[in-house]
Amino acid sequence: MSTLEARIDELLAVPPYGLAPQDREPAFLALLKDELDYACSRNPGYQNYVQHWPIDPCAAQKLADLPYLPVALLKADPAFALVEAREIKKTLTSSFTTGQMPSRIALDSATARRMGKAVAAIAQDFLGAQRRSYLVVDVPGSVAQGPKMGARGAAIQGLMPFASEVTYCLRADSTGDLVLELDKLLEFAEAHGDSPVLVYGFTYILWEYLVKPLLSNPVSLDIPNVHILHSGGWKRLQDEAVDKKSFNRGLAQVFGCSADRVIDFYGMVENVGVIYPDCAEGNKHVPAFGDVIVRDPLTLEPVGEGQQGMIQVCSVLPTSFPGHLLLTEDLAEIVSHDGCRCGRRGTCFRFVGRVPKSELRGCGNIGRRREPAYPR
Amino acid sequence: MNDLIRNVDTPEEITAAAAELRQGAGANEISPNATLDVFEVWAAALGTPEMAAIPGIAFLRLWLRRNTLEPIIARELGPGALDGKWMEDGRAQLKAYPVGVVGHWPAGNIEIQPLLSMTCALLGGNACLVRIPRGLRDQTRQLIEKLVQSDTNRVLTRQVRLLVFDHERLDLHRAMAQSVDGAMIWGGEEAVTEIRSLPFPHWARLAVFGPRISVAAMDAASWSDLAVREALCRRIARDVWQFDQQACSSPQVLFLEKKEGHSAGDFVQALRAAFETENRIHPRETIPAALTSAICQARASWLLEDVANSAIFPAGPEWTILLGQGSEIPQPTEGKTLTILEVNDLLETAAKLDGNVQTLGLVLADPERESALASVAASRGVDRIVQLGRMHVFTPPWDGVDLIRIMVRMVRHVRSVQ
Repeated sequence: MSTLEARIDELLAVPPYGLAPQDREPAFLALLKDELDYACSRNPGYQNYVQHWPIDPCAAQKLADLPYLPVALLKADPAFALVEAREIKKTLTSSFTTGQMPSRIALDSATARRMGKAVAAIAQDFLGAQRRSYLVVDVPGSVAQGPKMGARGAAIQGLMPFASEVTYCLRADSTGDLVLELDKLLEFAEAHGDSPVLVYGFTYILWEYLVKPLLSNPVSLDIPNVHILHSGGWKRLQDEAVDKKSFNRGLAQVFGCSADRVIDFYGMVENVGVIYPDCAEGNKHVPAFGDVIVRDPLTLEPVGEGQQGMIQVCSVLPTSFPGHLLLTEDLAEIVSHDGCRCGRRGTCFRFVGRVPKSELRGCGNIGRRREPAYPR
Repeated sequence: MNDLIRNVDTPEEITAAAAELRQGAGANEISPNATLDVFEVWAAALGTPEMAAIPGIAFLRLWLRRNTLEPIIARELGPGALDGKWMEDGRAQLKAYPVGVVGHWPAGNIEIQPLLSMTCALLGGNACLVRIPRGLRDQTRQLIEKLVQSDTNRVLTRQVRLLVFDHERLDLHRAMAQSVDGAMIWGGEEAVTEIRSLPFPHWARLAVFGPRISVAAMDAASWSDLAVREALCRRIARDVWQFDQQACSSPQVLFLEKKEGHSAGDFVQALRAAFETENRIHPRETIPAALTSAICQARASWLLEDVANSAIFPAGPEWTILLGQGSEIPQPTEGKTLTILEVNDLLETAAKLDGNVQTLGLVLADPERESALASVAASRGVDRIVQLGRMHVFTPPWDGVDLIRIMVRMVRHVRSVQ
């Protein structure tokens, strides 16, 4: 295990987008194979799964041949862990709606440490190393200091290394609804108008509780030197017919900055430590310690450049849960495997959307058990 | 083409289509024999190569043949019914008359089902309003074009209107329900529950074919017999492949009775070969990403939840065999994911089935044991017990219901003067 940790740290130490694919892949593949081995030694069920994979992982010549786990398998309760319960320091949960099960991600100290380091490395590549005032468009309680943390909290927490001070500009009213604290926000803008500022919020929260109220007032915060990061998906905004362009324009208007200061990033708690911010070309890049494979739903083979399919995320970071190779329920398009004009090396892709739910209206779709005709 | 299949957008269009049918329906009495004449020509017309790509076309053609339907009509409506004659019944006489305009709400997952449902009501002399799910529009259009070509005297085509509209259009569903005298409703729980709650006239007769699953079973003497193993595996593969295993008659589980000294592993390898062959002959052309995701999840959760479980599957989502023990039927995945469960005694397994199971596909070497097993399964709620390899053959009763008789009025005439 200690050699595994050292090899993971080696990958974490290199610039996240500096390696050419051919220079990185052999070590990355070898490390993932060893991590799979380790995971199998920690969980007999996982070992059973890997043993039945149609391609022997030891003989795999490429990343795409290794056994991946559907991300829904991480919805287990208790969390699907590779470490003893006493070693789990924090459990991250994905966002979910009523009736759904969230994913539960068990983090031990080592995985949590790598997570922080990895997010910082990625964010630094986009924002620079400088600490700055951090405006969180959320309520302070999102980052609870307990053993459990949600997706919003994890994202807010991940950007803390860039904060010299933190301000939360939403509060929950007596019914639990989020409310913008306008006075607090204006005070923040007044104090930090000319300095570099970092803003983070969930995409929908930014739109609903910041942009919409301030555009209707109208108020401009006049913070031109801001970087606004957001994540969490577009579904609810699509329902309101808000596209990326109008979202970015709205934020730029509110903050008094240019629209290219708004950075959307894709991420999920299951792919802990890896976030995929948009580069200036509008593409998402994979860091040295991770990878993305986009698979054709018909064959599950990796698709080529310009083609769409299901996203598989790969990461060497987790050792406390089997999150190395996960088939997600999201769709993406591979832009290129190297050579993005932004200068970052490696695969880049564009997020397309969630896998559409299939319409289960068939005559073979049973929802509940029936009583036998004559019970015995 | 013709105006038999129409996109509709207003309730008035549906009401008008029903009125047209009602006007024409009373004009001529159509005997089952006359209907069969048209069906025979239609079945032949469906045999062209371009139709072969429609899933289930072989079943539809077989269903439409006179040899198939004559005995069914005789059994359901009586021996003289074929020619539309009155039948003696003691001092009375009986004759089948249509209920009128029958509405059809087929499931969205079986390409031939709109027309299978329609033919049942046509054999009873009814007129038909058929709601076509958007996803089945193109295939249904192809199939109905062949009927139009075959029915040169418009014996049947004047009796039918196929209406394409979205599932969500409650106003259109209501208009259709209010226009019919009977309804044949097929599909999943949500769909059939919504449709049967529509405002049908108080006299409307409803036949509801809700969601079911199907299973297969083989006794040890059969699966361990090397002489028939390959053929049996081909039959299982055929039942699994049809309709991408999404029909109510698709086997989701195969129960294998254990036999000392014989390993199910060898049988599973033979089944793997049969699946590979079937997949070469009938590969998928498309798949929803959600189904791919469900297949991957089924594989992983099966192997993770019990280290005694095993599985065989290719790198793609083409097919999956999950192997384990016990008689508990897992939640079906569909998409050619067959769970094989080894059991000690098939009779004990049959005694644990419930009304969710529509069809039990069987191979049992001992006929007496098969009869006993059929009785147990039937008493538990299973409605069809058939030979493995023929699980989808559409022969009434279906879900325990006679498909023609359900939409006729059996009129009894007792002569006033004896």
